[in-house]
Amino acid sequence: MSDWIGSGHLLHLRWDLDKTYLRTDFDSVKDLIKTYRQKAEDKVAIVGARSLMQALLDPHERRKRRVTFISGSPTQMRAVLTRKLRLDGIEPDLFILKPNLSNILSGRIRSIRGQVGYKLSALMRSYVAATDLDELLFGDDAEQDAFIYSLYADILAGRVDAVQLASILGACKLYRAEVDEVMALHGRLFGSGDAVRRIFIHLEARSPLDRFAPYGARVVPVYNYLQAALVLHQGEVLRARDIVSVIEAMSVAGYTPARLANSVQDLVRRGVVAVADVERLAGELAAVETTRGRTVSTFIQRLRSTVADLQHVRRKSPEWLTEINYLGLYHSARFRRTRHRFFGIPLLD
Amino acid sequence: MSTIVIDTCAGEEQGREALAAAAIASLDLDVQMVVVGDEDEITSILDGLAHDAERLRVVHAADPLPDNVDPRDIREAAPHSSIAVGLELTARDPDAIFVSAGQPAAIVSLALQTLGRLPGVDRAALAAVYPTLRHRGPNDDPFALLLDVGATIECTSEHLLRFAAMGAAYASKISSVDRPRVGLLANGSSPATAPERVREAHRSLSGRDLPFEYIGLLRGDQVTHGEADVIVTDGFSGDVLVRTLEGVAATADALIQRAEARFKWRLGVQMLGGGIAKLREFTDWENYGGAPLLGLDRPVIVTQANSGVRAFVNAIRLGAKMQRLGVIAAVAEAVATSAAALSEEEES
Repeated sequence: MSDWIGSGHLLHLRWDLDKTYLRTDFDSVKDLIKTYRQKAEDKVAIVGARSLMQALLDPHERRKRRVTFISGSPTQMRAVLTRKLRLDGIEPDLFILKPNLSNILSGRIRSIRGQVGYKLSALMRSYVAATDLDELLFGDDAEQDAFIYSLYADILAGRVDAVQLASILGACKLYRAEVDEVMALHGRLFGSGDAVRRIFIHLEARSPLDRFAPYGARVVPVYNYLQAALVLHQGEVLRARDIVSVIEAMSVAGYTPARLANSVQDLVRRGVVAVADVERLAGELAAVETTRGRTVSTFIQRLRSTVADLQHVRRKSPEWLTEINYLGLYHSARFRRTRHRFFGIPLLD
Repeated sequence: MSTIVIDTCAGEEQGREALAAAAIASLDLDVQMVVVGDEDEITSILDGLAHDAERLRVVHAADPLPDNVDPRDIREAAPHSSIAVGLELTARDPDAIFVSAGQPAAIVSLALQTLGRLPGVDRAALAAVYPTLRHRGPNDDPFALLLDVGATIECTSEHLLRFAAMGAAYASKISSVDRPRVGLLANGSSPATAPERVREAHRSLSGRDLPFEYIGLLRGDQVTHGEADVIVTDGFSGDVLVRTLEGVAATADALIQRAEARFKWRLGVQMLGGGIAKLREFTDWENYGGAPLLGLDRPVIVTQANSGVRAFVNAIRLGAKMQRLGVIAAVAEAVATSAAALSEEEES
């Protein structure tokens, strides 16, 4: 096993749903209504997400894996979302949805849109206390997943103490009841162990990469799930044939070998994956490829030419950070949103 | 899907604007971007730009273009310059288009050495668009085409005939004009005062059955009226003319700014604000992308050295449009048809 997923450890997979696993549009009220009324059969998973999930939940490994979905969708959508996951062959161990109706009834209007209080407490409540535990978290750039997931990881690692957390929650304008709940959970989980291995952020909004640099190497922004699969392959969580499954799923959805190879090049240029690892992967894929179609062999060719293109690249891997300025990050994100709302300055500038 | 190969070693802010345009195109256009330049620098700039890495490939090429070298020797002197590498990539991919704000002479020379020429074409022509009073085609395009603007300085009448066919085919596709009106740039409407090459070209084109409508010789002052959809001239005169037009537009803009600085005139300028903005929009070369280099088997678009993001994005759009509409094939066909028509008439 790899240096970052321990042998025999329980691997807890935490997934956000909308824009991370499911292709969802809720940028307007019309989109929200459409999403709410959609049947399970009409909901579409993001290309490659289903194959990646199925590879991670390989029946041989299933007893050592645990899946929790934490979604901002209202609890009223549980039946349709559960059915959608079942159609995709995914049975989550825990499925947490947002109690929006009770937020409305109790007058907690900020909680309807806010994510920090809800997701942080959901992550902490669903923490599995095991001696040998690793966690992989999957979110997106549409909301504050990188911020919330990193904060959770640092609470477990004992790097964010109660005083720091209280000031962060205060800045996030959480309701008193939410603060009390998170602080109580912090008391129980603080310093439980540095269990979060990677946080994958699906770049649904194509946010600039440097927005995630302050979180360090633990946060890996990905343009698609082939990139996530490659990082997991490098960490020896997935095998070459799992990569092939993801490639095939993406190819069926219209991804060309060139587009897939560009994704690999991007990881190499960012220093997330080394050229030597890509060379090794090309060899492993070639061994699997005999039983597969043309897509994989064309991809291998592209992969090799990508490697040839990048022979000169000696990029340092991103650094692991032990100190993250959460308050600063929260305020800069808030400043960007305010600027966008009042002055129309694009969020992606 | 078109592949746009873009040189990021030239343009405003040492190519940063070209890279920003490539990032925008990767998000908004259905194209595959190949950015050529210093990989290390490109990667660090891309980190701060919203882009789609799935549609963007980086190719390393960091040789600087040598100074004081004959453009014909650049390939040997700097084989790994962004222009040389970009054109090599373009030559290998039939769906590729090359966009650069590098030195036009270097681009033309390297393109002629690297890419194939269309059958019957021995000289390439750089075609620039300029705004005119008369609009044309179903899209009401407010610009006409002027070629050559610098690729072939010394021209024969044969070259001018090829340029006429190439320009007409380009205008017909891009502006959807069925039979483009083509004129030869001269110093008067009578051929008697024109140089020999222009007189010969005029004689060959007059009264012939061609895929375009030849309207005769045009003076410089008739160019901006828009009487012709395509104006043909040699690279030297074309370059002088197009730069004069740009200079006039820039001077007019500077005069307006000067007027704004005077208190008494400010009110008048403010009242004309909408019209002035439209005029600026109309004469702003960045709106027209770049100048296509015609006569080669791949689209090559040369943008101005001080091109900003808007100019590069429009050049990318133009390249994708050329590919989508099959402009290169149309130009090849027009050259062949015109050559056949002219030789038949001469024989008869």
